[in-house]
Formats: sequence, C-alpha cells, structure tokens
Amino acid sequence: MITPHRLSVKFYFEELSVDAEAFIPVFHRWIREDVVPNELLLDVADYKHILDGPAILLVGHEADYVIDFTDGKPGLLYVRKQDLGADLSNALDTTLFQALKGVKLTESDVELQGKLKLRTDGATFVLLDRLNYPNAGSNGDSADPAASAEAHLSDSLAALFGSDATVTRVDNDAREPLTFELLAPSAPDVDTLLSQLGKVN
Amino acid sequence: MSNIGWKDVLTDDMPIDLAHEIDIFEGQMELMGQGKLDEKVFAETRLRRGVYGQRYDNGQRHDGFESRELEFDEADRIKGPDTLWHAPGMQRIKVPGGGLSPEQLDVLAQVADEYSDGILHITTRQDIQLHFVHIEDTPDMMRRLAAVGITTREACGNSVRNVTCCHLSGVCRTEVFDATPYSDAFAQFLLGHDDVQDFGRKFKPAFSGCESEACGLVMMHDIGYLAQIKEVDGKPKRGFKVFVGGGLGTVPHQAKVLSEFTSEEEMLPLVQAVARVFARLGEKRNRNRARIKFLVAKLGIDEFRRLVEEERETLPHDDRWTAYLDTLPQYEEKPAKPPTFLNGQVRSTAFNQWFETNVYSQRQEGYSVVTVNLPLGDLTSKQTWELADVARKYVGDNVRATVEQNIVLRWVSDSDLPGLYEELKAIGLGDSGAGTIVDITACPGTDTCKLGIASSRGLAGELRTRLTAKSASLPDAIKDLKIKISGCFNSCGQHHVSDIGFFGNSRRSGNFKMPHFQVVLGGRWRDNAGSYGLAVGAVPSKTVPEVVDIITNRYIDERAKGETFQDWIGRIGKKEARGMIQPFMKLPAFEQEPDYFSDWGDPRVFSLGDIGIGECAGEVVSLFSMEISPAESEAFEAQIALDENDPARADALAYSSMLKAARALVRTQFLDVGDSPDRIVQEFKGRFFDTELFFDQYAKGKFGQYLLDRHQNPNPNPDNDSAHRLIEEALLFIEATHACESKVGGNVLVEI
Repeated sequence: MITPHRLSVKFYFEELSVDAEAFIPVFHRWIREDVVPNELLLDVADYKHILDGPAILLVGHEADYVIDFTDGKPGLLYVRKQDLGADLSNALDTTLFQALKGVKLTESDVELQGKLKLRTDGATFVLLDRLNYPNAGSNGDSADPAASAEAHLSDSLAALFGSDATVTRVDNDAREPLTFELLAPSAPDVDTLLSQLGKVN
Repeated sequence: MSNIGWKDVLTDDMPIDLAHEIDIFEGQMELMGQGKLDEKVFAETRLRRGVYGQRYDNGQRHDGFESRELEFDEADRIKGPDTLWHAPGMQRIKVPGGGLSPEQLDVLAQVADEYSDGILHITTRQDIQLHFVHIEDTPDMMRRLAAVGITTREACGNSVRNVTCCHLSGVCRTEVFDATPYSDAFAQFLLGHDDVQDFGRKFKPAFSGCESEACGLVMMHDIGYLAQIKEVDGKPKRGFKVFVGGGLGTVPHQAKVLSEFTSEEEMLPLVQAVARVFARLGEKRNRNRARIKFLVAKLGIDEFRRLVEEERETLPHDDRWTAYLDTLPQYEEKPAKPPTFLNGQVRSTAFNQWFETNVYSQRQEGYSVVTVNLPLGDLTSKQTWELADVARKYVGDNVRATVEQNIVLRWVSDSDLPGLYEELKAIGLGDSGAGTIVDITACPGTDTCKLGIASSRGLAGELRTRLTAKSASLPDAIKDLKIKISGCFNSCGQHHVSDIGFFGNSRRSGNFKMPHFQVVLGGRWRDNAGSYGLAVGAVPSKTVPEVVDIITNRYIDERAKGETFQDWIGRIGKKEARGMIQPFMKLPAFEQEPDYFSDWGDPRVFSLGDIGIGECAGEVVSLFSMEISPAESEAFEAQIALDENDPARADALAYSSMLKAARALVRTQFLDVGDSPDRIVQEFKGRFFDTELFFDQYAKGKFGQYLLDRHQNPNPNPDNDSAHRLIEEALLFIEATHACESKVGGNVLVEI
C-alpha cells in the first residue's frame, strides 16, 4: 500500500504528575545531546496556551514529538514526516519503532523519571494523507484505501501487540484524517515491542 | 507511490491562471534543485509565493552553550542565500480583508495538519501563517488552497502585501460606508499587476470605514484609504481620503494626506500612479531606506503628490479601473439567520463576562459580531474545522480574521449568542477579554522568526496568564488598555500603537547577554493608529510582568477623572515615565539572577547567535531576472510535456516561454508592453531584432527569428519532432535573451 504523506501514533499517559512546561527544558536538552539516533531535532515549540491541543512540540526534520492534550487525553504523539519508507508497512514499522523509542526516552529521562508513565495497551494511529487515504465512508470495496489500511494495521499490530489486539477505525469527521484506535489488552512492555520491531528495522 | 497527485485531482477546481502559476513555481523549484536558477532569483520567487524562511534555516542553532550545526541532508542544496533547502520554513497565506468562508477554514485546517505543525497562526495583517513547512510540500498546499479561492501570491517579497480592511466594515455603527468591496477590488486589481513588480521593498495597503476608531489603522500603512462621502453637484459621492507613507518598523512614520478626496472611479488609477512613482524613484539598494515612507519624506508630500498626479495623466487607460463599480450594487453579505433579540434569556456569569468584551452590537438591529479570542493568535487544525462548523451553523460565510490576531463571526442573530458561546467554549475558543489588556498581540519573535531578538510570544503568554488570573479585579481603566509586543525593532507586533508596548533587544551583564524589552508607552490604537508611543527604556525580559504592574498601578493612582493612558503619559512626560522603570534597569550578575539570562519559555542561556538575515532584505535582483525565471520554468515544463508524449502542450509551452523571455527583455525598456503576444513580438522586433541588439556575433539574428517564425506560423498539429525542435529553439532563444540583457544592461532593479 502507498506510503502515507505523514503517519502519527499517540501513546497515552497512564500517569502524568508534571506540567506540560516541564517538557520544555527536557526537549531542549534532547536537542543539545542529540539523543535520538537517525533523527535531526530542530527546535521546541510552546503551544501550552492552547486548550486541549499540542502543548509542547519537539520539532524535528524527520518527525515531531508532541506532548499532546487533544480531546483532553494527554499523551506522547509521534508524527513521522519524512523518510517513511517505501510503503505503508515500512511507514508503520518506522513510525512505531521511533515512537516507542520516544516513549522509552521520555519515561527514563533524568528529569521526568518517576513522574509519568505511558501505556502500551492502546494507541491512536493517524494517516495524514487525504489524497491517498481519504477519510470517506467505506463503500465495501476491497480496494477502498481506508478498509485496506484498516486490514493492514490490524494484521501488523496484532502480530506485535498480541492476537487479542484490535484495530478499529475511528468514526470521526470526514475532514479529519483517517484514524484508527488500537486496543491491546495484553500488550507487551516497551522493550519487548522494540525488540520485536528491531528485528524488522 | 501513487501517480495521481493533488494537481490531477484539483484540476477542475483551481482557477486556470492560478494553477498555471503554481506549476511554474514547481518548475522553478525543480530548476533550483538542478542548480539552473540563481539563488537570489529563486529566493525572491518563492517569497512572492509566500514561502518564507524561518529561524535556523541557515543550518545553525545555538543550544545555550554553543552554536551547533544542524546536519540536514544535502547540506549544499539551498533555496536562497544562506538558506538550506531542507530546513523548514514558514508559509504565509494571504487573506484579503481577513475574509474567510467555512469551506476555506476546512482546507486551511487540513493543510495545516498535513504540511505544518497543525497550528494556524493569525498575523497582525489578517494573514494566516503556517510554520515548519517543507518547501517540497508547498506546491500541493497552494493547489489545495487555490481550489477554495485562496492564493499565497505576493504574500511576502517586495510586492503588494495583504490588503487589510477593518473587520467591522459593513456592520460598524460609526462607518461612513462599507469599505469591503473597495478593498476587495483593490486587492484583485493589484495582484500580479505589472506596475507592482519592481518595488524596492514591500507595500502594505489598508482600508478603513471611519476615522476615530482603530479600524484599518491607515495611519501606519504605506497607503491607506479612509471612506468619505462628498457632495458633488448636489449628490453624495463616495470616495476616500488617501494617506501615503505611513509605517512602523525601526523608524515609525505617520502617513501623510495624499488626497483629501479620491472618488471611487479614481481609486485604482491613483494607486497605479503611486506604484509607478514608487517603483521608479524608490530606493532599491539600501533596504533600510526603501519603504515608500522614506521616498515621501525625502521628496516631501507636495512633490510626491505632484509626481503622482503627473504619472496619473500618462497612464494608459484600463477598463478595470471602473469595471468593479458595476459589481458594487450586488455586493451584500447574507446573514445565515433572521435578526432576533436576546431579551429574556437566562445568562450565566461567564456568558455575561464574555458578552461584555467579545460581543459588538451591529448597526443592523438584531445582529452582533462575536470575537473569537485566540491566545497569541493560534488555533489548532481541529479547532479550525470545529470553528468552521460553528460558522456554518450561525453565520455562514461571514467570518474574518482581525489585525489583533483574532477571528470574528459577523451577523450572529442575537438570540443565538448564548448557544454560540457554549459551542465556542466546548472547542476551547470561549475565552472572554477580547480587545482588553489580556488580549495581547505578539509577533512570532524568537519562536520562529530569523530576526527575532527576544521571545515576544513567550512574554505575551506569560502576561496573558498573569493578567487573566486577576482580570476580575482589574479596574476598568486598566482593562481596556492594549499591550502589543514585537520580538525586535521591526515592529511586526505593532508595539508603537499600543498603550503599553514592548520590543525585544538585549543588554550585556558581565560576559553574558540578557534578553530585554524596550518599553514604549502611550501609543494610540484608536484614530486609525493615531499616534506613536514613547520609548522610555529597556528592562530585562523577566521583569516585564512587574513593570506592567508598576505602570498600571501608578496610572490608576494618579490619573485624573476621564484621563486616558495616552494623556496621562503625555502629562507626566518621558522623564517621569522612565523613572517608573528605572529600578528595573539595573542589571544583576549572572550568579545573582541566572534566570534573567534566559527568555520566557526557553531555558537556553540567552544568545543572539541565532539571528539570521531577514528575507525581506539584502540582495539586489534585476526585474529582468525575476521575469525571465518563469520563462525558464515553462521551457522546462515543455520538456516534461514532451516526455509525457503531449506534443501540443509542449509546443504551446515552448512558445509561451519565448514570449515570456521576450516580454522580460522588452520590459527593461518599456514597462507597459502588456500581455498580448502580438504586442510583445512587435515591441521585441522593433526594439531588439530590427536594431540588431539581439544579434549574436556569429549566429546573427537566428535565435530571435525563432520567436518571429513561431509567432507568425504556428503549427496547427505539432508532433513530437516539431515540438522537440521548438523546445530547442526556445532554450536557445532564452539564452540569447540573457546574453542580450547582459549586453544592453537591464536598468530596473528589485531588492529582496
């Protein structure tokens, strides 16, 4: 399947006992210490004045890391913008791998350690590509990009998060990008997921 | 990858001209990538499509300790002088008069989340800006915007920028008449006009309906129009008092009256004459003196007016000068609902607070304008399409962006106000305090601007938080004060025309630099930005909240009954005003107050190392270079068409590229050549071919003959061979045009 223009994944906080502002010095340090291999980190954008939005962004060339409060659900959003790979499968692997690395970095950061925890038993995936993956009503056609993407994500994520993992298309507004929710009752921990993905990457 | 792109999908939705312009821009990007276009020419080309640079795009970033290289791929690939190709940039989107429809909001939201960081930023000139945009995404972004009637053309660069218009025009209780259709006609007339392509600097127009309100801020614009009705032969006649040569920037100038009354028939020819005088006599090489305000100051308004009147007499007639007048009777805004009244409805305290500051009762009974108070001018993609739905439900197309970085919904039927408030609150857009001291204006500053010195947005966010927390207890005299903040002396935050203004600078303490803000007091927002404030001294950035408290408390204590802030500052004078902030001007050492050495929202030790060269500045590019660039792009497109086995299109593009090149050459001598192929070829022949100026030492007139032949004998059924031949001829013709221009010497320069 076609590589989407952008692909994002958001993991939600199980615990978060710091303000969004606390991420600003952390992200600046990440840039200075160049902590993310294979990604160029550029700057930190502060949008905490926006209610229920992307509060703090670590802007990168290949991807952004966002402390995101959209819909009142705090989480770490990873948006892959460049070098997604040759197809949806590559894009999903790359995005998920780097997002999980981001989860690990965040949880283990010296300034944040013990103050937050991200869950891996659920996540939101968004295909930011209205040209190739329009968020239109399904017509039952097997060539329908939304249906194909859903099937692809279901297979890929079940292989990683467990056979009881489910992927459901979010019934959102047609103007919004195509969005899927992952529910994984028996999700492995981050290291295990990274290890499995590492074999792919 | 799919072979179908936005270009294919939107072909039928885009205006043909706009679609073609975007194709040309894409072709120029391709040529730049191949190193076939001069970097300065490409920089000005992209600026004129609103594709602007952004902080760190030179590949350097100071991390608080040292300046470090940002290691982008293809580090030698650039999109302008000292600007890396892969570094993200800013896309400015023109919104004439701030007018937006729900459909346009939907698409803006979509391009924001696919191509930027998902945030739409409203500027102080009713534009919308998206940040962190990759240049390779810009053509498709432009196509998607073009499909809903939005252009980014001339949003930046040395051109006519967005035409602003009071957001209350048409519904205002004090206006002379609705300036909106005039501002629209003005914007359409000047967009891409030949006479506005050769300015030394940008040119900002504004329209106002009334004199005493802030309205369109005409006094601080390059050209400003104030609605007037004059009795002529016993009948009321519409027109404008026209101001010229205003501007903020480092050296603020109040505009001068160019004309006490210019009739609606003369509005467009007058600005065309002004444009010609500015293009001909305005400074081109020294950007610091290149705005029209310097020309007006140098010549004096009387001489400037004389030159404009003289120019007006020689202008070739243009039907468009008055054609728009035929459309005026049909111009109207359609409310989505009939008028109603709010009487009798139960109102919450929160609603009442919001109603007091965010609702303006329209001239038309039963309707109101609601201001959506956007913190720092920002809203998310999600909020944007949610707002589009709110607009659809309550006001239809009657949405405008404001110069105070908000959005207004016009023609709200009054009984809908409580429901509308609840819906705005539900999407995080229900803040009260619009137009008050908490509604602070700020330019991007060090967040994203290459010229930013201090964090204007960081400071604005901090002040907004603190003032909102105590807004309920603030005395009325303070509530209505305006705070405006610029990140540097260039005044994009319009600090000169606020009660309390700030612009970023720095001071040294020991071996460290400390972010500062110059305090500017007593500017007048009303009366169309009627007067500028007084700079009284610079204070450390971290002391500004306390400085605001000191100033406002003293104003409350000392003001006479009914005395405005401006009058109070005028009364106490600069010395006293400076005395208020003097205690804050003593700088602590780094060891004493390390926090003072970093900026709001940015923990890095402060540095000026990230300041770059503004893209409005610095280089000189000839008008010829700017105009021949699209010719080269079309020749390139012709080759692609041939590769795609479309000889007819290849033939047409090759011919068009020759015409564009010839036109660029002719315009070095004769600006009024127009767009007619016959006229272009005739002028080319008379001026360059028959005179043998175009002739090559060895080939003689051979290359020029290619154009003459193709013009006289078009091939009705071009095949691949003939199209290929014509493309080769076009490339040779373009090369010969370059050679001729070098030989003859272009005499028209533009500065970027």
